[in-house]
Amino acid sequence: MKIIFEHEEENNTGHLQEEEDVSIELPSDIVRKEPLPIPNVNEVDVVRHYTNLSRMNFGVDIGFYPLGSCTMKYNPKVNEDAARAEGFSNLHPLSPEECTQGSLKLMWELKEYLKDITGMDDFSLQPSAGAQSELLGVMIAKAHFRSKGEKRTKAIIPDSAHGTNPATASICKLETITIPSDSRGNMDIGRYKELLSPEVALVMLTNPNTLGLFDENTTEISHLAHKNGTLMYCDGANMNALLGITRPGDQGFDMIHLNLHKTFSTPHGGGGPGAGVLGVKSFLAEYLPIPQVVKRDSRYSLDYASKKSVGRVRSFYGNFGMHVRAYSYIHSWGTQIRKVSEHAVLNANYLQGLLKDTFDLAYDRRCAHEFVLSSRRFGEKSALNIAKRLMDYGFHPPTIYFPLIVPEALMIEPTETESKETLDRFVLALKKIASELKEHPEIVKQAPLSTPVGRLDEVAAARRPNLRWRPSQRQTKVE
Amino acid sequence: MLELKFTKEHEWVRIMDELAIIGISDFAQEQLGDIVSIELPKTGGVFRQGQTMAIVDSVKASSDIYAPISGEIVEVNEGLIEKPEVINQSPYDLGWIAKIKPSKMEEFESLMTREEYDRYIGQIK
Amino acid sequence: MDYIPATEKDIKEMLNLVGVSSINDLVREFIPAFRGKLNLPQPKSELELLGHMKGLAHTNKVLRCFIGAGAYNHYIPSAVSHLLARGDLYTGYTPYQAEMSQGTLQAIYEFQSFICLLTGMDVANASLYEGASALAEAALLSCSYTGRDHIFVKEGLHPQYLEVLQTYCEGSELTVTDKIDDKTACVIAQNPDFYGNIENMHYLAEQAHSAGALFTTCIIEPTSLAILEPPGKYGADIVAGEGQSFGIPLSFGGPYLGFIAVKDFLLKKLPGRICGMTTDSKGNRGFVLTFQAREQHIRRERATSNITTNQALMALAATIYLALMGRTGLTRVAKLSYARAHLLNGKLEKVGFRNLNIKPFYNEFVVKVPGSAEALTSRLLKKGILGGVNLAEDSLLICCTEMNSVQDIDDFVSAVAGD
Repeated sequence: MKIIFEHEEENNTGHLQEEEDVSIELPSDIVRKEPLPIPNVNEVDVVRHYTNLSRMNFGVDIGFYPLGSCTMKYNPKVNEDAARAEGFSNLHPLSPEECTQGSLKLMWELKEYLKDITGMDDFSLQPSAGAQSELLGVMIAKAHFRSKGEKRTKAIIPDSAHGTNPATASICKLETITIPSDSRGNMDIGRYKELLSPEVALVMLTNPNTLGLFDENTTEISHLAHKNGTLMYCDGANMNALLGITRPGDQGFDMIHLNLHKTFSTPHGGGGPGAGVLGVKSFLAEYLPIPQVVKRDSRYSLDYASKKSVGRVRSFYGNFGMHVRAYSYIHSWGTQIRKVSEHAVLNANYLQGLLKDTFDLAYDRRCAHEFVLSSRRFGEKSALNIAKRLMDYGFHPPTIYFPLIVPEALMIEPTETESKETLDRFVLALKKIASELKEHPEIVKQAPLSTPVGRLDEVAAARRPNLRWRPSQRQTKVE
Repeated sequence: MLELKFTKEHEWVRIMDELAIIGISDFAQEQLGDIVSIELPKTGGVFRQGQTMAIVDSVKASSDIYAPISGEIVEVNEGLIEKPEVINQSPYDLGWIAKIKPSKMEEFESLMTREEYDRYIGQIK
Repeated sequence: MDYIPATEKDIKEMLNLVGVSSINDLVREFIPAFRGKLNLPQPKSELELLGHMKGLAHTNKVLRCFIGAGAYNHYIPSAVSHLLARGDLYTGYTPYQAEMSQGTLQAIYEFQSFICLLTGMDVANASLYEGASALAEAALLSCSYTGRDHIFVKEGLHPQYLEVLQTYCEGSELTVTDKIDDKTACVIAQNPDFYGNIENMHYLAEQAHSAGALFTTCIIEPTSLAILEPPGKYGADIVAGEGQSFGIPLSFGGPYLGFIAVKDFLLKKLPGRICGMTTDSKGNRGFVLTFQAREQHIRRERATSNITTNQALMALAATIYLALMGRTGLTRVAKLSYARAHLLNGKLEKVGFRNLNIKPFYNEFVVKVPGSAEALTSRLLKKGILGGVNLAEDSLLICCTEMNSVQDIDDFVSAVAGD
């Protein structure tokens, strides 16, 4: 396919009329001297170009997308319509409060729902993604200890954690203490007890963890942390297992971030926009970013008063368009929301049960909303080969080679929005690939054969980077 | 051929004109796969034995290279920045990473000989 | 509403296979069990839900907009939202599996290219959350590259951007200072600045470089790039900013589009995702995420940033917008925005307002109002006009784009002069 810059120069009016009387009177040392180097392409060709690109993509709307840890559930269309309503989509963020009551009410109520669902006391909707919530959480922990006159310099993180946890700790100048997982996939409680010292500011735990397992020692871990003055941070990426079943706030967590694009069905957008939100217990609420949406009598407003706030992590108030979708999703389920997690867990355990003999289970336990298989019996690079071959059967592959502690890992998260029939077809495909690996391994190694491109040369991409189009590239040969 | 000595982290050291030349072993480059970039230390930097002095990246992994011997960096192999694949092609020769002026020469003696290293990787394979 | 396809029969069969009699048995180890009742609304049908949502949206009031200050009301061609609504684009995730994600990947490559072409820089990443945190990432990058820990910010930076920068610096133990010296990692200047002023940046870039610091330009109204000298030409090492102007609705402040572009020598320090062109096993052109070893999922505590996602769909919106507008359209947007702002400014000067800009301005400007700015904006509000941001008791920051017609401008002027 051509890239957009390879289209011939065409007649393009740019959707605006030329106006005769417009003249720019700016000093010559600040104006552009060369013509703007972007192409003029006709609307019909632009629409065809991006429509054809979209056909080279895979999404939940096309088929099963069991990408572990990412909760690729169905994105209800009505939420898209809600977010596109004129009153939401065209509202300037600096409009006076009398013009923004609908948005503020929505944000305030969303916080109330999330407080209830997680068992926390307050929320900030500002962070743009889970990783930014983590950053905010660690900053809040630091501010908390600073106000107590304590300097704590370490964070405890299990080896199964998402890479963002240690990366965030290190950006905030905390040293990471990595705790290994035990034979049941829990954080090794013995090692934890040994390494929990007065320097530990916080424990960052994903629960259920990235192995899809609820840590059986959660309550004890929290108890020990609190006795030590340490804060408990929950990476809530896997909240889709827990809605209405148990609340992180009741498990002893002092902070939790939620990914609205996972648990609350806002679309992943090909990699964003997501929305992270951060919930805290009341003793940390004063550190949350400003402004906070508040309700006084029946009027909503933005409150900038908190003196102890750590500040802002982004402009304006967060990814509001995602707040609308998540709010709409919560309203669609309402008091029945527990059903989401029940079915997410049921689907995962059903798949695990059907696949555990064909592959090796990383940990042979009931799982939560996802589970991790190892394809080590099929040799090196087998997880990669299986992933590529799954494409030929019309499925998006699971997450592979994560968590890092499982060799040849296939991390599978079906979500609640998939039917038994789909799960059965997926099992059939994986079993067929398993037998292909024994009988015709060359087919699997060449896969995928049905996608717009075959396996791509990632080594060449990194060694001889071509990261942008240059006008001098215009002559490149195109298929 | 001057004697090569090895660490458990798969770096090698060779002493030449009182300088320690260091790189990573053939086994290490094979484990890493196609190396796509390297972060080299600055000349003049001082490292203790075992400290991270460089980072090599393959497509899907990133590995620390630890100083096999304490001392000051006097030269780095700048050519690797443009052509990191040289580490894959010639790990013991053109793919050297840095030259260190050792501050504790006795550390060299404590490293593994070729035979010891071969036995060691035989065990971990 | 219910998005669960499982039938009673399915549930029974699945429970059987798992070997439990009820779902409660499956979740028994998730403790402590929540026994209360969630204080959530009653479930709604789609019909009820849409009514409820539209009702809320309707409570907001969308007025004729003369406010910018980090969020710009530009025209969005119809084709943008139609293309963005394609499920194959917006229901996918980060293109980890390149063979199934060529659409997203190629669009990112095109986005990176557009950003480079507009800014005159060498490389751009696949986008960041939004402008203010993109600027903070530029500061972190500069400190990591130079090994220094002070950040100099030129007066005139958007106040929210400064707050975000200070928050990030506090978290990472860096300092925002008011002098350029041998501790300065980076010199930051917004252009056009918060007040709309356009400055010749050559001098500041030289000052930064002679102190051994990197020079970062922050761009929050990127349509200006259609007529202004690109930062790559005046010595910027990093350009970071906000791309909302390119086809993304105001949406009460988000989701927006952060972007960052650098000169080649900073490539390996660039945070977030980067897409590269390569070939497949048959020699066909294709695209992949590249330099992933810099990122948190591989480097963990040694990563250059904790960023995971980009804003792919917003980057796609900007890419489609730029493709649709083209050189001709984008230049018209810039010229019209400039012209309308200058038209309004001229008319206001005739009725007793005084322009306070110290330099030539683009599409935002500051005026000293006769009397109270607050009284003035509430008078405009009554006429359905969002009249500007009150900066002080008697000064107002006003913005125009191609969306403000000459009629709107006349209405604005007659509303303020009408007593």
